Amino acid sequence: MKNKKAQEEIIGFGLIIIIVAVILLVFIGFSIKKGGEKETVESYEVSSFIQAFLQYTTECRDINEYLSVQKLIFACKESEKCLDERESCEVLNSTLKEIIDASWKVGEDRPVKAYSLEILAGEEEILLMKKGNFTRDSRGSSQNFFKGGESIDIFFEVYY
Amino acid sequence: MKHTQNSENFGAAEFKSAPSRRITEKNLIGKKAQLKIQQMAFMLMAVTLFFALAGMFVLIITFSGVKESAKELHEKNAILLAAKLANSPEFSCGNVFGGGKINCIDADKVMMLKEKMMVKYAEFWGVSNIEIRKIAPELKGEIICKSGNYPDCNVIRLRPENITAEYSNFVSLCRKESIEGEIHDKCELGKIMIAYDEE
Repeated sequence: MKNKKAQEEIIGFGLIIIIVAVILLVFIGFSIKKGGEKETVESYEVSSFIQAFLQYTTECRDINEYLSVQKLIFACKESEKCLDERESCEVLNSTLKEIIDASWKVGEDRPVKAYSLEILAGEEEILLMKKGNFTRDSRGSSQNFFKGGESIDIFFEVYY
Repeated sequence: MKHTQNSENFGAAEFKSAPSRRITEKNLIGKKAQLKIQQMAFMLMAVTLFFALAGMFVLIITFSGVKESAKELHEKNAILLAAKLANSPEFSCGNVFGGGKINCIDADKVMMLKEKMMVKYAEFWGVSNIEIRKIAPELKGEIICKSGNYPDCNVIRLRPENITAEYSNFVSLCRKESIEGEIHDKCELGKIMIAYDEE
């Protein structure tokens, strides 16, 4: 009789634990879903950043004009030189570093902890730039464009 | 003899204690029932308390979520409004800098129109102030753009008041520049920031 009572109590306790666990799981599910929504909002900022820096006028000049970052990426891919004999890839690297460091201040005591930029031409890596301590909370965006059948992919990620 | 006396005494004692034992048993059963009722009352109280706490927890989570999503929506709207402003005819580069550029602001145009713009369009856009800040190349300090110092400045403010809004969007800030007698397009990196009307 006593044993049966104890068994019933244990079953009741187990049921309560299961109910609480289900409620907790529902809450966790909801909070994860909300986190995903936030990412879309913030990656919009990163996406507009990529669009804006592609139009940035660099110090590298060809016969006609000062090249934008977008044109400089193609020049770098073709290993071309600027009119002042500087390597296009060198100018691309220094320009992008200057732009990103001015736009996303990285530091332990700042909201942005790290960033990474990767520019690929098909499978070939044109540029890889990383700075800071990488965390698990990141927002990113990618952009690709074509010129003469060649595809360039840009991936930029910011870590909070 | 002693034994007989003892047994007699014992019998008498047994005879006397029978009703009192019954009373004690009744008391014991009553006490047990009371205990059970108390146990159930405590259990009911504990269950009610648990559900009340769980309900409060749910309410707190729900309301904090609502606040957060309202804030997110507000932020998203502000960012989208900043993008919309950058691409509006009053700000956008159009075809002046070669091809239709997205998120591109014609700095020369904004400098020419800035005084009239806020008077005529503030209500239409639903913003109280707009600021365009040059990010790269970086200049030391904050230099407000006026007709006298343009383009050697980094802040174009449509209204003189300070802007403390965190709602901003990256834009390309383009202008025409004369280098060695030739006119070139020069696009820099900037941010359009808006002071948002809450209503």
